[in-house]
Amino acid sequence: MKIGIPQALLYYYYLPFWERLFTELGFEVYESGLTTKDILDNGSKAAVADICAPIKIYTGHVIDCLNNSDFVFIPRFSSIQKNEYFCPKFMGLPDIIVGTVENSEKKIISPIINDISEDICDPRSYDILIDKFGFSYRELNNALKKANKVFTRFKKLLHNGLSLDKALFSYKQNFWEEYLYSIKKNGEINIAVLGYVYNLYDPFISLDVVKKLEELNVNIFTFEMVNHDDAYKQLSKYRKKLFWTFSNRVLGAGLYYLNNNIIDGMIHVTAFGCGPDAIVGKFLQYECDERSIPFTTLRIDEHTGEGHLVTRIEAFTDMIKRKKAQTLEVKL
Amino acid sequence: MRISFPYMGSTIVYKKLFEFLGHEVIMPPKPTQKTMDLGVKYSPEFACIPLKMVMGSYIEAINMGAEVLVTSGGHGPCRAGFYGDTHKLILKNLGYDNVELIILDAPQDNWKAFLQNINKLRNRLPWFKVINRVITLYKFIQKLDELEKLSQKIRPYEIQKGQTTKVWNEILNRFDKIKTKKELENTYLECKRMLEEIPIKKVNENEKIRIGIVGEIYVVMESSINFGIEELLGNLGVEVERALYLSEWVRDNLVPWSLRPKRFKDLIKKGQKYIKILIGGHAVETVGHIIDYKERGFDGIIHLMPFACLPELVTQSLIPKISKEEDIPILSLPIDEQTGKANTQTRIEAFIDLLKNRKKGIKKQLDKNERVVVA
Repeated sequence: MKIGIPQALLYYYYLPFWERLFTELGFEVYESGLTTKDILDNGSKAAVADICAPIKIYTGHVIDCLNNSDFVFIPRFSSIQKNEYFCPKFMGLPDIIVGTVENSEKKIISPIINDISEDICDPRSYDILIDKFGFSYRELNNALKKANKVFTRFKKLLHNGLSLDKALFSYKQNFWEEYLYSIKKNGEINIAVLGYVYNLYDPFISLDVVKKLEELNVNIFTFEMVNHDDAYKQLSKYRKKLFWTFSNRVLGAGLYYLNNNIIDGMIHVTAFGCGPDAIVGKFLQYECDERSIPFTTLRIDEHTGEGHLVTRIEAFTDMIKRKKAQTLEVKL
Repeated sequence: MRISFPYMGSTIVYKKLFEFLGHEVIMPPKPTQKTMDLGVKYSPEFACIPLKMVMGSYIEAINMGAEVLVTSGGHGPCRAGFYGDTHKLILKNLGYDNVELIILDAPQDNWKAFLQNINKLRNRLPWFKVINRVITLYKFIQKLDELEKLSQKIRPYEIQKGQTTKVWNEILNRFDKIKTKKELENTYLECKRMLEEIPIKKVNENEKIRIGIVGEIYVVMESSINFGIEELLGNLGVEVERALYLSEWVRDNLVPWSLRPKRFKDLIKKGQKYIKILIGGHAVETVGHIIDYKERGFDGIIHLMPFACLPELVTQSLIPKISKEEDIPILSLPIDEQTGKANTQTRIEAFIDLLKNRKKGIKKQLDKNERVVVA
């Protein structure tokens, strides 16, 4: 049996977990591959016009999976932290797909992820696999445990300073920790590039902004490099946390970098129509303003042209480099 | 304390609440283009329109002298629960440091903060008096909603266009002056008579067009942002029912779960046919209402949502499927600062034509079938 995993949204974070889980259970795993113009077009055609770009892309990947595999895996992410949720669109993701993609209802495998930590290995969430394919509880539990081991190892790479795309690469090529030694941070300036994994690491949608910045001799700091507890500690200054786990991680990581004087500038990468980011962005902007750290927002959608993006990040990095050089001169 | 609040729906209710508690109330003006411009200017670009409008309202109220703003909180995952904190941050950065924003979260989230806030608001009134007055206020909302529902049944058939709206404004005026329970009862009866005295033309029951309005609470309740859709539809000869009335919202959301009426639980159950879990905002309720209206024989649904509203986008994705499976026409209108009135009016008129033709078509088909049976 072939199960399709759409290469969009939380794929970038949870791929090692899911891949291991399904191979352990004896599935053949199909990945829909990198986003292409065709995938995006199919997705935009099917999805509602006003919805955010990541969901449109996801819809396109689902259509691709439906054509190429027996089942498609669309988890319903409800919560991975106590008293926090996901964006309502994640919570209704299978419903959105059923409503917009024809004949998809029977092929969707959709466990409800309602866990208390990001190690999403509570077997009760995956009842549907037992019901639908007749695995025993024990088989499922074992597979989940193995998957979690891989995922924990994967997360360690991130906390040691690998950006997610590199970590995924080292996972896929089976380099694992060896790859860490090849990474050196010797750029001129440090910039935090904050955004959800599915925006930053989909090269089609983000136009590879991470790589472009690295070519400009910049050290990149992303939210997944800050571990969970460090990020959350920063949020205690607010009256209440945000409702969305990954938004909290982004905001917390931003504050962590600011409070520890790690960065010279911050770029917030967000998708057109992203609801939580409308609030996160405003908070980050004010926090940067208070500390006189340059801040900019890159808003990406299905029409983003490469030219303007390059111009903007070049201007932004040039400005920071000049500022840094000036302060050095003054000090001397 | 000079208190103000966000402008949504029948604001005299909130005004009455704070008057009952003995505060001086600064009534925010009804939102206009100016309010919207102010809100849009200072809010995050991709915030939804309610956040922007409320932002504008706050600034206007502060300029009129408000010292305390009272608003509701929430525990997500809809953005509305974080409006208060976002507004606070923006106001602070605009230099309004002396304004206090009291955010009332659900009591079960943080008992202590909730009680502190209530204590601040109760103005040293003894608790039994507070409870007594809140109950009076609840009756006040109920009566007002009953009158509004009645007016929506009369407006489409009035002979002199605009008369119902005139009477409705008069009703709001009279309700504004109410001070005691006794006055409430009398005013209610008087106002009801005023509505019933409006001359109306007779329309056959099977020619009446009825539309249910569902969607996100702010754009459904606030007429200045939804082009006065109820009046608009009423003037086009359509009976309207909203999915949300303030009294029902209070009953369904502020009363503990186990005591809520069965009707509300049924709605949720109906909605879960399409959206399997509660995803925040009003998404599941909206679907429940659509199915409920269909079962009650309504002819069509208008779905209102703020542009990029998170929960309602899930509903919107499902609307073609619901419309097909439940066999009911649905018009979905996203609203933001760019929405034009003329364009919306055309779409609504076309939608009503469609409903009328559909009804005629169904009737004809029925007649034909009868003839076949007779032959």
